[in-house]
Amino acid sequence: MCDTCGCGADSTTFRKHGEDHHHHGDGHSHSHDHHDHGHSHDHNHTHDRTIAIEQDILGENNLLAQRNRGYFEAKNVFAINLVSSPGSGKTTLLEKTLATLKEEIPSAVIEGDQQTMNDADRIAKTGVPVLQINTGNGCHLDAEMIHTAYGELKLQDNSALFIENVGNLVCPALFDLGEDKRVVVISVTEGEDKPLKYPTMFDAADICIINKIDLLPYVQFDVEKCKEYALQVNHNLEFFEVSATTGEGMQTWYDWLKEMSKK
Amino acid sequence: MHEMSIAMNIISIACKEAEKDGASSISNIELDVGKLSGVMIDSLKFCYESVCKGTLAENSTLSIKEVPARANCKKCDHTFEIDSFMALCPNCESYEIDILQGRELKLRAVSVN
Repeated sequence: MCDTCGCGADSTTFRKHGEDHHHHGDGHSHSHDHHDHGHSHDHNHTHDRTIAIEQDILGENNLLAQRNRGYFEAKNVFAINLVSSPGSGKTTLLEKTLATLKEEIPSAVIEGDQQTMNDADRIAKTGVPVLQINTGNGCHLDAEMIHTAYGELKLQDNSALFIENVGNLVCPALFDLGEDKRVVVISVTEGEDKPLKYPTMFDAADICIINKIDLLPYVQFDVEKCKEYALQVNHNLEFFEVSATTGEGMQTWYDWLKEMSKK
Repeated sequence: MHEMSIAMNIISIACKEAEKDGASSISNIELDVGKLSGVMIDSLKFCYESVCKGTLAENSTLSIKEVPARANCKKCDHTFEIDSFMALCPNCESYEIDILQGRELKLRAVSVN
Protein backbone atom coordinates (compact mmCIF):
# COMPACT_ATOMS: atom_id res chain seq x y z
CA MET A 1 0.00 0.00 0.00
CA CYS A 2 1.20 3.47 -0.86
CA ASP A 3 2.50 5.22 2.26
CA THR A 4 1.63 8.62 0.94
CA CYS A 5 -2.00 8.24 0.12
CA GLY A 6 -2.91 4.66 0.90
CA CYS A 7 -3.96 3.98 -2.68
CA GLY A 8 -2.14 0.70 -3.26
CA ALA A 9 -0.39 2.33 -6.22
CA ASP A 10 3.11 1.12 -5.54
CA SER A 11 1.95 -2.44 -5.06
CA THR A 12 0.97 -2.81 -8.72
CA THR A 13 3.42 -5.21 -10.35
CA PHE A 14 3.99 -6.26 -13.95
CA ARG A 15 5.43 -9.69 -14.57
CA LYS A 16 5.99 -11.88 -17.60
CA HIS A 17 5.50 -15.61 -17.30
CA GLY A 18 8.73 -17.29 -16.17
CA GLU A 19 10.29 -14.13 -14.78
CA ASP A 20 11.37 -14.33 -11.14
CA HIS A 21 11.66 -10.66 -10.57
CA HIS A 22 8.89 -8.20 -10.83
CA HIS A 23 8.79 -4.47 -11.04
CA HIS A 24 6.47 -1.72 -10.13
CA GLY A 25 4.71 0.46 -12.60
CA ASP A 26 6.70 3.59 -13.15
CA GLY A 27 4.07 5.76 -14.66
CA HIS A 28 1.26 5.73 -12.17
CA SER A 29 -1.14 8.36 -13.28
CA HIS A 30 -1.69 10.42 -10.20
CA SER A 31 0.98 12.54 -8.64
CA HIS A 32 1.86 12.99 -5.03
CA ASP A 33 3.41 16.40 -5.53
CA HIS A 34 0.83 18.04 -3.39
CA HIS A 35 1.65 16.00 -0.32
CA ASP A 36 4.83 17.95 0.25
CA HIS A 37 3.32 21.31 -0.01
CA GLY A 38 5.85 23.27 1.97
CA HIS A 39 6.51 26.37 -0.09
CA SER A 40 5.54 29.75 1.12
CA HIS A 41 3.58 32.40 -0.66
CA ASP A 42 4.91 35.92 -0.60
CA HIS A 43 1.87 37.32 -2.25
CA ASN A 44 -1.19 37.84 -0.20
CA HIS A 45 -4.15 35.61 -1.04
CA THR A 46 -6.10 35.73 2.11
CA HIS A 47 -9.58 36.02 0.64
CA ASP A 48 -11.70 33.02 -0.07
CA ARG A 49 -12.21 32.60 -3.76
CA THR A 50 -13.60 30.00 -6.10
CA ILE A 51 -11.70 28.66 -9.10
CA ALA A 52 -13.86 27.27 -11.92
CA ILE A 53 -12.43 23.98 -13.14
CA GLU A 54 -15.08 22.09 -15.14
CA GLN A 55 -12.94 18.97 -15.64
CA ASP A 56 -13.95 15.36 -16.05
CA ILE A 57 -12.71 13.57 -12.91
CA LEU A 58 -11.69 10.57 -15.01
CA GLY A 59 -10.25 12.87 -17.68
CA GLU A 60 -6.67 11.72 -17.17
CA ASN A 61 -7.57 8.05 -17.55
CA ASN A 62 -9.75 8.84 -20.56
CA LEU A 63 -6.91 10.73 -22.23
CA LEU A 64 -4.48 7.87 -21.64
CA ALA A 65 -7.08 5.42 -22.94
CA GLN A 66 -7.36 7.47 -26.12
CA ARG A 67 -3.58 7.39 -26.42
CA ASN A 68 -3.67 3.58 -26.13
CA ARG A 69 -6.48 3.48 -28.70
CA GLY A 70 -4.38 5.52 -31.14
CA TYR A 71 -1.43 3.15 -30.66
CA PHE A 72 -3.64 0.11 -31.27
CA GLU A 73 -5.12 1.73 -34.34
CA ALA A 74 -1.73 2.58 -35.79
CA LYS A 75 -0.50 -1.00 -35.32
CA ASN A 76 -3.87 -2.46 -36.32
CA VAL A 77 -4.21 -4.26 -33.01
CA PHE A 78 -7.73 -5.37 -32.15
CA ALA A 79 -8.03 -4.90 -28.38
CA ILE A 80 -10.64 -6.58 -26.22
CA ASN A 81 -11.34 -5.85 -22.55
CA LEU A 82 -12.89 -8.89 -20.84
CA VAL A 83 -14.84 -8.10 -17.69
CA SER A 84 -16.94 -10.25 -15.35
CA SER A 85 -17.37 -11.32 -11.77
CA PRO A 86 -14.75 -13.79 -10.49
CA GLY A 87 -15.32 -17.35 -11.66
CA SER A 88 -17.34 -16.74 -14.81
CA GLY A 89 -14.73 -18.55 -16.91
CA LYS A 90 -12.83 -15.71 -18.56
CA THR A 91 -9.49 -17.49 -18.37
CA THR A 92 -10.85 -20.79 -19.72
CA LEU A 93 -12.57 -18.89 -22.53
CA LEU A 94 -9.24 -17.24 -23.36
CA GLU A 95 -7.27 -20.51 -23.18
CA LYS A 96 -9.64 -22.18 -25.65
CA THR A 97 -9.82 -19.15 -27.91
CA LEU A 98 -6.05 -18.77 -28.09
CA ALA A 99 -5.43 -22.49 -28.61
CA THR A 100 -7.82 -22.42 -31.57
CA LEU A 101 -6.98 -19.08 -33.17
CA LYS A 102 -3.31 -18.39 -32.41
CA GLU A 103 -2.16 -19.54 -35.87
CA GLU A 104 -4.71 -17.35 -37.61
CA ILE A 105 -4.56 -14.29 -35.37
CA PRO A 106 -1.26 -13.39 -33.68
CA SER A 107 -2.29 -12.57 -30.12
CA ALA A 108 -1.04 -11.27 -26.80
CA VAL A 109 -2.68 -11.27 -23.39
CA ILE A 110 -2.66 -8.92 -20.41
CA GLU A 111 -3.93 -10.59 -17.24
CA GLY A 112 -5.24 -8.53 -14.35
CA ASP A 113 -5.63 -9.94 -10.83
CA GLN A 114 -4.99 -8.60 -7.36
CA GLN A 115 -2.49 -11.38 -6.66
CA THR A 116 -0.76 -14.45 -8.20
CA MET A 117 0.67 -15.44 -11.57
CA ASN A 118 -1.87 -18.27 -11.90
CA ASP A 119 -3.74 -16.93 -14.89
CA ALA A 120 -0.61 -15.86 -16.75
CA ASP A 121 0.85 -19.32 -16.17
CA ARG A 122 -2.27 -20.91 -17.67
CA ILE A 123 -2.21 -18.60 -20.71
CA ALA A 124 1.55 -19.13 -21.20
CA LYS A 125 0.87 -22.83 -21.84
CA THR A 126 -0.93 -21.85 -25.06
CA GLY A 127 2.35 -20.31 -26.28
CA VAL A 128 0.89 -16.81 -26.52
CA PRO A 129 2.89 -13.92 -24.99
CA VAL A 130 1.33 -12.88 -21.69
CA LEU A 131 1.94 -10.27 -19.02
CA GLN A 132 0.44 -10.43 -15.55
CA ILE A 133 -0.54 -7.24 -13.78
CA ASN A 134 -1.05 -7.68 -10.05
CA THR A 135 -2.98 -4.70 -8.81
CA GLY A 136 -2.33 -5.41 -5.10
CA ASN A 137 -5.27 -3.70 -3.45
CA GLY A 138 -6.57 -2.27 -6.72
CA CYS A 139 -9.97 -3.41 -7.93
CA HIS A 140 -9.61 -2.63 -11.64
CA LEU A 141 -7.09 -2.08 -14.43
CA ASP A 142 -6.58 1.45 -15.72
CA ALA A 143 -5.29 2.94 -18.96
CA GLU A 144 -1.82 3.67 -17.52
CA MET A 145 -1.32 0.04 -16.47
CA ILE A 146 -2.28 -1.11 -19.97
CA HIS A 147 0.16 1.39 -21.48
CA THR A 148 3.01 0.01 -19.35
CA ALA A 149 1.96 -3.58 -20.05
CA TYR A 150 1.82 -3.43 -23.85
CA GLY A 151 5.17 -1.64 -23.85
CA GLU A 152 6.64 -4.75 -22.24
CA LEU A 153 4.75 -7.16 -24.48
CA LYS A 154 5.93 -5.56 -27.74
CA LEU A 155 2.73 -6.09 -29.70
CA GLN A 156 2.92 -7.28 -33.30
CA ASP A 157 1.26 -5.36 -36.12
CA ASN A 158 -2.08 -6.83 -37.26
CA SER A 159 -2.69 -8.77 -34.08
CA ALA A 160 -5.20 -9.10 -31.27
CA LEU A 161 -4.74 -8.06 -27.64
CA PHE A 162 -6.91 -9.72 -25.01
CA ILE A 163 -7.07 -7.92 -21.68
CA GLU A 164 -8.55 -9.97 -18.84
CA ASN A 165 -9.65 -7.40 -16.28
CA VAL A 166 -9.77 -8.00 -12.52
CA GLY A 167 -12.80 -10.19 -11.69
CA ASN A 168 -15.20 -7.54 -10.47
CA LEU A 169 -18.53 -6.56 -11.98
CA VAL A 170 -18.50 -3.04 -10.53
CA CYS A 171 -15.29 -1.04 -10.64
CA PRO A 172 -13.80 -1.84 -14.09
CA ALA A 173 -16.95 -0.38 -15.69
CA LEU A 174 -15.70 3.17 -15.22
CA PHE A 175 -12.20 2.78 -16.58
CA ASP A 176 -11.70 2.96 -20.33
CA LEU A 177 -8.51 1.10 -21.29
CA GLY A 178 -8.51 2.09 -24.96
CA GLU A 179 -10.04 -1.19 -26.11
CA ASP A 180 -12.04 -1.62 -29.32
CA LYS A 181 -14.66 -3.79 -27.69
CA ARG A 182 -15.64 -4.46 -24.12
CA VAL A 183 -16.91 -7.96 -23.51
CA VAL A 184 -18.84 -8.83 -20.37
CA VAL A 185 -18.93 -12.54 -19.47
CA ILE A 186 -21.68 -14.06 -17.35
CA SER A 187 -21.95 -17.75 -16.56
CA VAL A 188 -25.17 -19.72 -16.13
CA THR A 189 -24.17 -20.62 -12.57
CA GLU A 190 -24.77 -16.98 -11.68
CA GLY A 191 -28.22 -15.39 -11.44
CA GLU A 192 -29.92 -14.46 -14.70
CA ASP A 193 -30.69 -11.07 -13.14
CA LYS A 194 -27.00 -10.05 -12.98
CA PRO A 195 -27.56 -7.41 -15.70
CA LEU A 196 -30.21 -5.77 -13.50
CA LYS A 197 -28.05 -5.97 -10.38
CA TYR A 198 -24.91 -4.60 -12.04
CA PRO A 199 -26.28 -2.39 -14.81
CA THR A 200 -23.31 -0.03 -15.07
CA MET A 201 -21.11 -2.85 -16.35
CA PHE A 202 -23.67 -4.08 -18.88
CA ASP A 203 -24.29 -0.52 -19.99
CA ALA A 204 -20.57 -0.06 -20.67
CA ALA A 205 -20.17 -3.32 -22.64
CA ASP A 206 -20.50 -4.01 -26.38
CA ILE A 207 -20.70 -7.79 -26.22
CA CYS A 208 -22.17 -10.21 -23.68
CA ILE A 209 -20.94 -13.79 -23.56
CA ILE A 210 -23.12 -16.25 -21.69
CA ASN A 211 -20.70 -18.99 -20.66
CA LYS A 212 -20.98 -22.54 -19.24
CA ILE A 213 -24.16 -23.31 -21.23
CA ASP A 214 -23.29 -27.03 -20.92
CA LEU A 215 -24.48 -26.69 -17.30
CA LEU A 216 -27.94 -25.40 -18.24
CA PRO A 217 -29.67 -28.75 -17.52
CA TYR A 218 -28.42 -28.61 -13.90
CA VAL A 219 -29.11 -25.00 -12.97
CA GLN A 220 -32.07 -22.67 -12.93
CA PHE A 221 -30.96 -20.09 -15.44
CA ASP A 222 -33.26 -18.71 -18.10
CA VAL A 223 -31.02 -17.61 -20.98
CA GLU A 224 -33.76 -15.68 -22.77
CA LYS A 225 -34.66 -13.84 -19.60
CA CYS A 226 -31.02 -12.95 -18.96
CA LYS A 227 -30.72 -11.55 -22.49
CA GLU A 228 -33.94 -9.62 -22.07
CA TYR A 229 -32.65 -8.07 -18.83
CA ALA A 230 -29.32 -7.22 -20.44
CA LEU A 231 -31.08 -5.59 -23.40
CA GLN A 232 -33.20 -3.54 -21.03
CA VAL A 233 -29.98 -2.07 -19.70
CA ASN A 234 -28.22 -1.77 -23.07
CA HIS A 235 -30.20 -2.41 -26.24
CA ASN A 236 -27.02 -2.40 -28.36
CA LEU A 237 -25.53 -5.54 -26.74
CA GLU A 238 -24.66 -8.51 -28.97
CA PHE A 239 -24.71 -12.00 -27.43
CA PHE A 240 -22.74 -15.22 -27.71
CA GLU A 241 -23.92 -18.33 -25.88
CA VAL A 242 -20.97 -20.64 -25.33
CA SER A 243 -19.40 -23.37 -23.29
CA ALA A 244 -15.66 -22.77 -23.26
CA THR A 245 -15.25 -26.23 -21.70
CA THR A 246 -17.17 -28.32 -24.28
CA GLY A 247 -16.67 -25.94 -27.22
CA GLU A 248 -20.40 -25.54 -27.82
CA GLY A 249 -21.19 -22.20 -29.49
CA MET A 250 -17.52 -21.22 -29.63
CA GLN A 251 -17.34 -21.23 -33.45
CA THR A 252 -19.59 -18.14 -33.71
CA TRP A 253 -17.34 -16.35 -31.22
CA TYR A 254 -14.24 -17.33 -33.23
CA ASP A 255 -15.89 -16.17 -36.47
CA TRP A 256 -16.69 -12.83 -34.90
CA LEU A 257 -13.12 -12.42 -33.62
CA LYS A 258 -11.69 -13.26 -37.05
CA GLU A 259 -14.02 -10.77 -38.69
CA MET A 260 -13.20 -8.03 -36.20
CA SER A 261 -9.44 -8.49 -36.27
CA LYS A 262 -9.45 -8.19 -40.09
CA LYS A 263 -10.76 -4.63 -39.89
CA MET B 1 -13.93 0.26 -4.34
CA HIS B 2 -13.22 2.43 -7.38
CA GLU B 3 -14.37 5.44 -5.34
CA MET B 4 -10.83 5.49 -3.90
CA SER B 5 -9.36 6.09 -7.36
CA ILE B 6 -12.02 8.69 -8.05
CA ALA B 7 -11.27 10.48 -4.75
CA MET B 8 -7.54 10.48 -5.58
CA ASN B 9 -8.23 11.97 -9.00
CA ILE B 10 -10.36 14.70 -7.41
CA ILE B 11 -7.60 15.62 -4.97
CA SER B 12 -4.97 15.53 -7.66
CA ILE B 13 -6.89 17.88 -10.01
CA ALA B 14 -7.99 20.20 -7.20
CA CYS B 15 -4.51 20.53 -5.65
CA LYS B 16 -2.89 21.17 -9.02
CA GLU B 17 -5.32 23.99 -9.75
CA ALA B 18 -5.05 25.44 -6.23
CA GLU B 19 -1.25 25.44 -6.42
CA LYS B 20 -1.37 27.17 -9.80
CA ASP B 21 -3.47 29.83 -8.15
CA GLY B 22 -1.04 30.24 -5.26
CA ALA B 23 -3.65 29.18 -2.73
CA SER B 24 -2.62 28.03 0.73
CA SER B 25 -5.54 25.71 1.29
CA ILE B 26 -8.71 24.32 -0.24
CA SER B 27 -11.92 24.81 1.71
CA ASN B 28 -14.49 23.22 -0.60
CA ILE B 29 -14.69 21.18 -3.78
CA GLU B 30 -17.79 21.20 -5.97
CA LEU B 31 -18.63 18.08 -7.93
CA ASP B 32 -21.29 17.02 -10.41
CA VAL B 33 -22.09 13.33 -10.00
CA GLY B 34 -24.56 11.81 -12.45
CA LYS B 35 -27.22 9.49 -11.14
CA LEU B 36 -25.94 6.77 -13.48
CA SER B 37 -22.23 7.52 -13.04
CA GLY B 38 -21.58 4.30 -11.14
CA VAL B 39 -20.22 6.18 -8.12
CA MET B 40 -21.67 5.77 -4.66
CA ILE B 41 -21.70 9.20 -3.08
CA ASP B 42 -21.38 7.95 0.52
CA SER B 43 -18.45 5.77 -0.39
CA LEU B 44 -16.83 8.64 -2.30
CA LYS B 45 -17.14 10.91 0.74
CA PHE B 46 -15.60 8.23 2.94
CA CYS B 47 -12.63 7.76 0.62
CA TYR B 48 -12.24 11.48 0.16
CA GLU B 49 -11.79 12.01 3.88
CA SER B 50 -8.87 9.64 4.03
CA VAL B 51 -7.25 10.77 0.79
CA CYS B 52 -7.33 14.52 1.53
CA LYS B 53 -5.18 14.15 4.66
CA GLY B 54 -1.78 15.77 4.30
CA THR B 55 -2.79 17.69 1.18
CA LEU B 56 -3.93 21.25 0.52
CA ALA B 57 -7.46 19.89 0.72
CA GLU B 58 -7.17 18.58 4.28
CA ASN B 59 -10.31 19.47 6.26
CA SER B 60 -12.09 20.63 3.11
CA THR B 61 -15.72 19.84 2.38
CA LEU B 62 -17.26 18.22 -0.69
CA SER B 63 -20.34 19.78 -2.25
CA ILE B 64 -21.89 17.16 -4.48
CA LYS B 65 -24.64 18.00 -6.94
CA GLU B 66 -26.40 14.89 -8.15
CA VAL B 67 -27.17 15.27 -11.83
CA PRO B 68 -30.49 13.68 -12.80
CA ALA B 69 -30.51 11.23 -15.69
CA ARG B 70 -32.40 11.88 -18.93
CA ALA B 71 -33.00 9.70 -21.95
CA ASN B 72 -34.41 9.93 -25.43
CA CYS B 73 -36.56 7.19 -26.92
CA LYS B 74 -35.28 5.93 -30.27
CA LYS B 75 -38.73 4.76 -31.29
CA CYS B 76 -40.92 7.80 -30.55
CA ASP B 77 -38.32 10.53 -29.87
CA HIS B 78 -39.79 11.29 -26.44
CA THR B 79 -37.29 12.77 -23.92
CA PHE B 80 -37.82 11.98 -20.25
CA GLU B 81 -36.15 11.64 -16.85
CA ILE B 82 -34.99 8.16 -15.78
CA ASP B 83 -33.72 6.78 -12.50
CA SER B 84 -31.97 3.65 -13.74
CA PHE B 85 -30.48 2.03 -16.83
CA MET B 86 -33.54 -0.24 -17.07
CA ALA B 87 -35.92 2.59 -17.77
CA LEU B 88 -38.65 2.27 -20.31
CA CYS B 89 -40.18 5.04 -22.39
CA PRO B 90 -43.29 6.30 -20.59
CA ASN B 91 -44.79 7.18 -23.95
CA CYS B 92 -44.40 3.98 -26.01
CA GLU B 93 -42.90 1.54 -23.46
CA SER B 94 -39.81 0.85 -25.56
CA TYR B 95 -36.48 -0.08 -23.94
CA GLU B 96 -34.55 1.37 -26.86
CA ILE B 97 -33.50 4.58 -25.24
CA ASP B 98 -30.35 6.64 -25.51
CA ILE B 99 -29.08 8.12 -22.27
CA LEU B 100 -28.49 11.84 -22.74
CA GLN B 101 -27.45 12.86 -19.24
CA GLY B 102 -26.64 11.22 -15.91
CA ARG B 103 -23.16 9.72 -16.48
CA GLU B 104 -21.37 12.93 -15.42
CA LEU B 105 -18.39 12.82 -13.10
CA LYS B 106 -17.11 16.34 -13.10
CA LEU B 107 -15.05 18.60 -10.86
CA ARG B 108 -16.82 21.91 -11.24
CA ALA B 109 -14.98 24.32 -8.95
CA VAL B 110 -12.59 24.61 -6.02
CA SER B 111 -12.89 27.18 -3.24
CA VAL B 112 -9.50 28.21 -1.90
CA ASN B 113 -7.93 30.75 0.38
